[in-house]
Amino acid sequence: MDMTAFVDVAFLILSFFMLATKFKPPEVVKIDNPKSVSSENQPDKDVLKVSFDKDGRVFVSFSAEQDGREKAQLMAEQLSKQKGLNLSNAQIKNFVNFSVGGIGVPISQLPSLLNKTEEEYKQLKQPGIPVEDSTNNQLYDYLNAMLTGTGGRKPKNIMLNGDNGTKYPYFKNVLTAFKKNGIFSFKLVTALEGVPSGTPLYKKRNK
Amino acid sequence: MGADVSAPDSGGGKKGPGVKKQARKDTRVDMTPMVDLGFLLITFFVFTTTMSTPKAFGFNVPDDSAKPEEQNEAKASGAFTILLSKDNHVYFYEGQLLPDGSNFKSSSFSEIRKELLRKKDNTPEKDLVVIVKPGELANYKNLVDILDEVQIADIGRKAVVDVNEAEKTFIELTEGPAPPAGTK
Repeated sequence: MDMTAFVDVAFLILSFFMLATKFKPPEVVKIDNPKSVSSENQPDKDVLKVSFDKDGRVFVSFSAEQDGREKAQLMAEQLSKQKGLNLSNAQIKNFVNFSVGGIGVPISQLPSLLNKTEEEYKQLKQPGIPVEDSTNNQLYDYLNAMLTGTGGRKPKNIMLNGDNGTKYPYFKNVLTAFKKNGIFSFKLVTALEGVPSGTPLYKKRNK
Repeated sequence: MGADVSAPDSGGGKKGPGVKKQARKDTRVDMTPMVDLGFLLITFFVFTTTMSTPKAFGFNVPDDSAKPEEQNEAKASGAFTILLSKDNHVYFYEGQLLPDGSNFKSSSFSEIRKELLRKKDNTPEKDLVVIVKPGELANYKNLVDILDEVQIADIGRKAVVDVNEAEKTFIELTEGPAPPAGTK
């Protein structure tokens, strides 16, 4: 049988997938983003991302390039100093590596998390950073450690990655941690949705 | 596939007799492994990549520690307050909430756009501000949806504030009492 046409089709589909899609970022937590009409692309450089899933587990992550890694390193060093964790260099290196996927443990459990290997980390179901109340909002401590480390310099892109089903109080607690650190401007991660025709925004965009 | 096709050794206009035409080998290659490879790669890309590129939705919050005199006071006439409650319930009122709750109305995500646009048309642009108050039982999707509606209506000023007691009372009157704190 002549397979040539078949090969053509296969490679056509292959090239479509290669061009139209992007590699999935490594994530340890499954998050279903809400939709918005916003068309601005999510930046991928110098990103600090705070994610919360539908159970309210909170994670911090950094982008994998130079700026992100540098900030993750500073965050680990400062946390170690401020909270007396005495993290070794190997543990800090692990923090930087794990921070690409997301770190979501209370500060007290951080040393044991950082003793794990890459494989163990991927298998682990992290409990999330506690944000429940104002006295124990550890997301504040995480962010504060990073800002102390950078000398108040914020990452260029602060993203909030929330799940559809998260209850509002969790979001509010995350906001509180942001506000207390002087972060007032950030971006929410959303999925794209078309602008309904006939609405003011539609008219504005199609002018 | 792959069978040798030898040209018939006949016909005039050919080389002289005795010069036997060499049997040509078929140059076609078996494509099956190539198809296999192609589809293997497709499957790989389907599973490891993602189609939807996430978008960024800009969001600013006010500084709570700012002194009251530095904060912007929303003009009552231009205020449009949206309350979010459990199970995607939406309530809204314009201006200030009247003590008897007569301007406290129930709505839904599909109808709120109409109300927003109506308000936008009736209000001078500089006075218009949308206040979103998500309740304890509202979820994150509700909040983003409403902020999105505000964006769709092309209204520049919005604020996210907590629900106050008076509003809670009206929501409870409509929905029945809220479940005790601590339950999800």
